[in-house]
Amino acid sequence: MNIKIDRDMLLKPLSAVSSIVERRHTLPILSNLLLEAKQDRVTLTATDLEMQISLSLDGAPGGEVSTTVSARKLLDICRSLPDQAEITMAIQDNRMQIRAGKSRFNLQTLPAADYPLMAKAGGETGLVLQIAQRTLKKLLKQVEYAMAQQDIRYYLNGLLFEVNGNRLNVVGTDGHRLSFTSTELSQSYEKQEMILPRKTVLELIKLLEDSDEMLTIEVGSNQVNFAFSGIRLISKVIDGKFPDYTRVIPVGHQNSLAVDRQTLLLAMQRASILSNEKYRGIRMVLGKDSLRLISSNSEQEEAEEELEVNYNGDPLDIGFNVTYMIDVLNNVDNDVVTFSFADANSSCLVTVPSDSNYKYVVMPMRI
Amino acid sequence: MSSIHLLPDHLISQIAAGEVVERPASALKELLENSLDAGADDVSVMLLQGGVKQLRVTDNGGGIAPDELTLALTRHATSKIASLEDLERVASLGFRGEALASIASVSRTSITSRIKRERHAWRISSEGGHLTPNEPAALDVGTVIEVNDLYYNTPARRKFLKTEGTEYGHCEEAFKRIALSRPQAGFMLQHNGRAQWRLAAGEPQKRFGAVLGEEFAEQAFLIDESAAGLRLWGMAAKPAYSKLSRDAQYFYVNGRFIRDKLVAHAVRQAYQDVLHHERHPAFVLFFELDPALVDVNVHPTKTEVRFRDGQAVHRFIFHALHKALAGPAGSQVAAPEPVAQAMPFQPTYPTYQPQIPLRAGEGLDFYRMMFGERPVSSAMITEEMPPQPVQDYPLGFALGQLHGVYVLSQNAQGLVVVDMHAAHERIMYERLKHALESQNIATQPLLLPVSFHADRLEVATAEEQVGVLHNLGFEIAVLSPTTLAVRAVPSMLKDADVVALARAVLSDIREFGGSRALTERRNEMLATMACHAAVRANRTLTITEMNALLRDMESTERSDQCNHGRPTWFQVTMAELDKMFMRGK
Repeated sequence: MNIKIDRDMLLKPLSAVSSIVERRHTLPILSNLLLEAKQDRVTLTATDLEMQISLSLDGAPGGEVSTTVSARKLLDICRSLPDQAEITMAIQDNRMQIRAGKSRFNLQTLPAADYPLMAKAGGETGLVLQIAQRTLKKLLKQVEYAMAQQDIRYYLNGLLFEVNGNRLNVVGTDGHRLSFTSTELSQSYEKQEMILPRKTVLELIKLLEDSDEMLTIEVGSNQVNFAFSGIRLISKVIDGKFPDYTRVIPVGHQNSLAVDRQTLLLAMQRASILSNEKYRGIRMVLGKDSLRLISSNSEQEEAEEELEVNYNGDPLDIGFNVTYMIDVLNNVDNDVVTFSFADANSSCLVTVPSDSNYKYVVMPMRI
Repeated sequence: MSSIHLLPDHLISQIAAGEVVERPASALKELLENSLDAGADDVSVMLLQGGVKQLRVTDNGGGIAPDELTLALTRHATSKIASLEDLERVASLGFRGEALASIASVSRTSITSRIKRERHAWRISSEGGHLTPNEPAALDVGTVIEVNDLYYNTPARRKFLKTEGTEYGHCEEAFKRIALSRPQAGFMLQHNGRAQWRLAAGEPQKRFGAVLGEEFAEQAFLIDESAAGLRLWGMAAKPAYSKLSRDAQYFYVNGRFIRDKLVAHAVRQAYQDVLHHERHPAFVLFFELDPALVDVNVHPTKTEVRFRDGQAVHRFIFHALHKALAGPAGSQVAAPEPVAQAMPFQPTYPTYQPQIPLRAGEGLDFYRMMFGERPVSSAMITEEMPPQPVQDYPLGFALGQLHGVYVLSQNAQGLVVVDMHAAHERIMYERLKHALESQNIATQPLLLPVSFHADRLEVATAEEQVGVLHNLGFEIAVLSPTTLAVRAVPSMLKDADVVALARAVLSDIREFGGSRALTERRNEMLATMACHAAVRANRTLTITEMNALLRDMESTERSDQCNHGRPTWFQVTMAELDKMFMRGK
């Protein structure tokens, strides 16, 4: 009933699955992770009842083990052991003994049979997608920051995945701004939607690697499975109707402005220092070939930034929440960003020249 | 099926009595009001068994002429109004001409009264509404009304009466309400032969103190505001003297005690910022306005009124109280009562005890050794003494800090103890509020408008009050007769629950003509910010910082209370300290 495993080999998967374990909850077994060993293969599983991550690693000779143990303590022990230490885990009388060198730890365990595993989605699932890890990671990172956080409109606390024909659209919004991106799929599917919860999105971004390895997404009626490089992630989906984002994305805005991302970002960050700390308003004043950023706070302090740009549209004075602007400038991976305006009361569309699929819509603020 | 017929007169009176004379206390209220309307300035009340057995009101008012005695006990007979015009601008307490008849119909009542020009008094008795003829009696000018055996002929009602103690309590409350409203009249209350209250005619302030307790009088401040024909005067207690129940709330409209939703709301809002939400303020307030602008004929007991221009009344009461409550720290200190012994301070020379500059190095080293390096000690030593005399500053000058929580200060009256976190929190909060109020409201239009199901009233309000909503930073569109959509919200509250916010604002606008719901939500947020920005316990302050805090408190509105309504400072006078040490005995 022993498992032998290399500390370095265990540490990374262990921290990956432990990250979803909530620190505080009422059900003690949820602070544990499920550890199963069978024929040289160890599987670690953690869950918060909304999502579940399983990770398998090979090359851990030992007997058959199936138990649950505190995720946080196990992780802290592994982390503080010296590099290349060899860990031996032994189960005896509901306790797990961990030995490495001259260190010895005895941990309480709870029976594996009680662990609340999420059942894999039934067979009636229609949709199975294949997509490269790198692509999915890029899509998520492009839109993730526009998601709502603990909004009472629960369907906004996640990302919309919409499959339509051979396109996969991913959309996030918090009711004030919206980000949209899209990619091409290898084959066509029937139109289908699901909303992936915020926490799952953030975990996925952490787990996904910049590789071309393919990833399989299986969409069930109320859950979705992601399988990639030894990891299996099962997540519930948010049951709700996502707002019709197509009506929100403006078309035909005439006044457009292309500007260097880094320059504008730094100017925005400087101007934001003196914007009102609660509603973060900033004015963008556009004139012929000039863009001024003006902010002022409740103590009557003011900041003004002037940028030389190429602009031939109408003169415009439009207010925004500077956080929304800094978010988009931080997250697009292109040197040039294009802003399109209609007037001071209509939404602004942000696009990047290199990726025509990406769109960011933000509502102005009347300061 | 029985035929339709007119009810006998005494039965109609008994039915009316059900509304007017709910219990002995309501009969007492009616009788006292009659006395006051008759111009009495000395009224005594005698009760037996909680007013159930006997209720006797004696006054020195104008009296009732002998030939009108019978009429007095008749329904809808009154001397107070004569025409519809009179009804529209009623200045007397009563006017319906119902009370006496109602009381008489359910009890054995007798009225003895003499007017000035008569040589002797006359008495009329009634038993359940059946009158006996007038008979001569002996009495000085005035009226005595005796109500015996209330509800003797309506056993059903009698069963609903509570114990003697409870009924007496209600009578006493009715008595207090009337007594508060007429300080210029003397009042006396006896129960079962024992005098309970004896209130001499005098100043309003004295009367309030006598009825509500000296503590109230000490803790309350005077209000007298008038504008555009409206006047609000009286006394309201400082937030620190608040109660868990609403029982110490007396509001009078043109001298008549009322309990009104609109008024209660205005008062509540005025105290909003300084009172803990579970506590209730104590006050005696008199609201005076042209009788034509208020309709008192809403309910037979007249505790409800209707204002012609409710919004203006709400605004006026709110602003008058709000302003009175906003005084900075120390400004509401009651004038120090003349103490028998001389004040320990002479105002002519600097009353501040300068600290001795400890120049001896050994001494300092010794303290360092004992207490470690403390910034305070050195700061205290080098501190320049303020040249101003203490009495210019109500909160005085800092002496030092107690356990890192309280600032001790010395003023002309003695010792001042200040809760530094609470005080600083209030100062920060007022500053944040002030900074925001001078700015325009920024509006955040929503990318995804939030629609919700609304009732007809909400829809109507949204349609009518577009301008008001716009000024508050809201944009609410009507989608259908039962659906509203919020298109824009104030930027400060963009992360709030939009629907709940919109509902609160619409209902406020409908009921009170404007909404403070948003201001309140915003203030809650500012309060949190202020709490984080304020100095925490165990932060060591230098004397300079402490003095700055005291000066800030003196110039900040509402700084007597922290944001949660707790007091920020209190005074220990020299007299109190002397008492503790039994000095000067």
